[in-house]
Amino acid sequence: MDVITYQHGIYPRSEEVVAATRGLERGRTTREEVDRAFAADRADFIRTQREAGLDYFSDGLLTWQDIFRPFVEVCEGLDAHALVRWFDNNSFFRAPEITGELSLSASVPGEMEDDGDLPGPKMATIPSPYLLSRAAQSDEDRNTLMRDLTREILRPVSQELVARGYRLLHMQEPWLVYFGMESEDWDDFEKAVGELREATEGATLVLHTYFGDAGPWADRLRRLPVDAVGIDFVETDPEELGTGWSGGLLAGVLDGRRSLVEPVEPVVGFARRIAEMAGPSRLIVSSNAELELLPRDIARRKVAVLGEAAARLKEELA
Amino acid sequence: MTSPRPTPSDLTSTPLLTHEVGSLDKLGWRVKAVAGKDLEERDVDEARAWGGRAGVDGFEELIDLLRRAPLRSKEDKDQVKRWSSRYGLRMEESAGLDVVYDGEQQRTEMYQWAVAHSNGFEWRGSVRAFDNKYYSKAAVVGPISLKEPYHDEEFAFLKSVARAELKVPITGAYTIADWSFDERSNGGQDLTKPHATRTAARKDARHEFVLDVARNMIRPNVEALIALGAKWIQIDEPGGSTEPDELDLFAQSFNESVDGLDAVFSTHLCFSDYDLFFPGIEAMTACRQFAVGFANYDSRDLGISDAARPGYQVIRKFRDLSYRPSLGLGVLDIHTDFIEPPELVRDRILYAVDVFGDPGRIQITPDCGLRTRSWDVAHRKLVNMVEGTRLAKARLGLS
Repeated sequence: MDVITYQHGIYPRSEEVVAATRGLERGRTTREEVDRAFAADRADFIRTQREAGLDYFSDGLLTWQDIFRPFVEVCEGLDAHALVRWFDNNSFFRAPEITGELSLSASVPGEMEDDGDLPGPKMATIPSPYLLSRAAQSDEDRNTLMRDLTREILRPVSQELVARGYRLLHMQEPWLVYFGMESEDWDDFEKAVGELREATEGATLVLHTYFGDAGPWADRLRRLPVDAVGIDFVETDPEELGTGWSGGLLAGVLDGRRSLVEPVEPVVGFARRIAEMAGPSRLIVSSNAELELLPRDIARRKVAVLGEAAARLKEELA
Repeated sequence: MTSPRPTPSDLTSTPLLTHEVGSLDKLGWRVKAVAGKDLEERDVDEARAWGGRAGVDGFEELIDLLRRAPLRSKEDKDQVKRWSSRYGLRMEESAGLDVVYDGEQQRTEMYQWAVAHSNGFEWRGSVRAFDNKYYSKAAVVGPISLKEPYHDEEFAFLKSVARAELKVPITGAYTIADWSFDERSNGGQDLTKPHATRTAARKDARHEFVLDVARNMIRPNVEALIALGAKWIQIDEPGGSTEPDELDLFAQSFNESVDGLDAVFSTHLCFSDYDLFFPGIEAMTACRQFAVGFANYDSRDLGISDAARPGYQVIRKFRDLSYRPSLGLGVLDIHTDFIEPPELVRDRILYAVDVFGDPGRIQITPDCGLRTRSWDVAHRKLVNMVEGTRLAKARLGLS
């Protein structure tokens, strides 16, 4: 079985970046000092991934203010004001607000422009079409909005990322398993994902559900046109997944919301059990959610565990 | 002949009473002086300017103290903190608020202060709340107890200098637990255990943690404040609705913190889907007021129709609570420098009064603490809040 590992989503900022960004807002430090602190964090995260032996490299989305903001800022007709709780966390995002005709002002968000230092193979994290359309503030029909946001933003950006050499695109999709999805919404969602599939030919496309139980949605999820579906095993009972996953499975086995760092052995044992039960063509070992909700030093230790566990699984499941 | 001072329960039912909710920013002179750093001339100028603008008696004494920076002694730094408290208090009084506190000038931060004065926690590092706003997050690692009641000194001082009525804000049990990691139990994290066992272990651990904070951290603090003469205590619960399936636990933690104690208790909720609080908070019968942030979700258009006030639609649910608490109506969006015109404040109030049908159940507040705004913006917002309240009173024929 093909086993890979990578760390998706927003990675936490160091205490140095925390102090620098806080200082900038209060007029106590300079933009240059902030940039230097971010650069050091980025180098640190790249080093952490390399030392852990991860298979894909992310920039950690360190400068992103939330998962939507770079897309809001690169798109005419979108704005972001109201603070909304990020699911059941003490963390908030500014809800994208539809203010006019959607139109990209650049091929990728500014935060993704300067990626020359990122080693390959590179991976990027983007919001899933369903998440983006439901988190947005709009009076428009949500499925129409999902189609518009996919066509005008997610598809062209994804296409450009692949053209820039990104080998894996990871779509965050907590909304589906946290709030659920009406049966009449599935077709539109599948079409939106299908559009992104077309746009990312040659790259691996992953849809990652988290912060909720994927069990009730497992049958529909496994039929989506993606290379792997991500499951949060803190919230999902593996018994509910069924067997015979013909596609890939991202097993979220490290808890991105708890500070205790998991020992390697049980993580390996659990992932092996998932592989045996579900029988996916490819097993991706990762955290159940982005690590942003942890202090940086704890997140770094979890990435190390991830690498160690994946290395063991590669040997055992080869 | 002067009228008798209102009792605390009068205060929570006084029509359109204006009050503060939480913290204010700490000015540069306060931060640097307490950190033992040098001050710049602009810091001293700011202390002088706000001393005059807020009407702080004797602020030249502070200026003399700041001139000696960098300050080394604990006594000097404590003096600076008390001056900062005076400034916060007078800033709010000068804006015209009826009920004030000091913008939590002596505390580090609402969560950090509480945890730092309690046993059973260890710090783990900074976690982002949003944008470039972060908080220091601790883990509970052992039994919880107070090192000392951690608002006594502050309250005793403020009581001695306040001109307006005081309401003491204190961080609630649910929020403290929710903003902490729990490292006392890893039963919920061990994936080798059956899913149902893990889920049950997580739930039990959470229940135990929240109620441990309520009983052994919040309640002893509240008791100490009451012994010092506190009459109105606001339990701040910005994390109250974080876990929608724990609203019963949230309500239980409030009750465990205050039941049977002799004071008026209110709570503050913000930045949540308030629908989630129902029916959970129906059990919080000791809560005389919910101070809730709504302006963040509202339009800036004038008007008192449902369409003009989308952020306030949920207030009907608070109106219908059987124990008839008053509503601290958040009318200032604390996440923007937009200065709400008095007419907008007025219309938000008039809308709420119309929905409640009783101005005695509506009081006026910012959405939350104004800590993320400059003092200039915060003061201008508060002044307009008071003026908007005056306009609403005039429209309603209230004195």
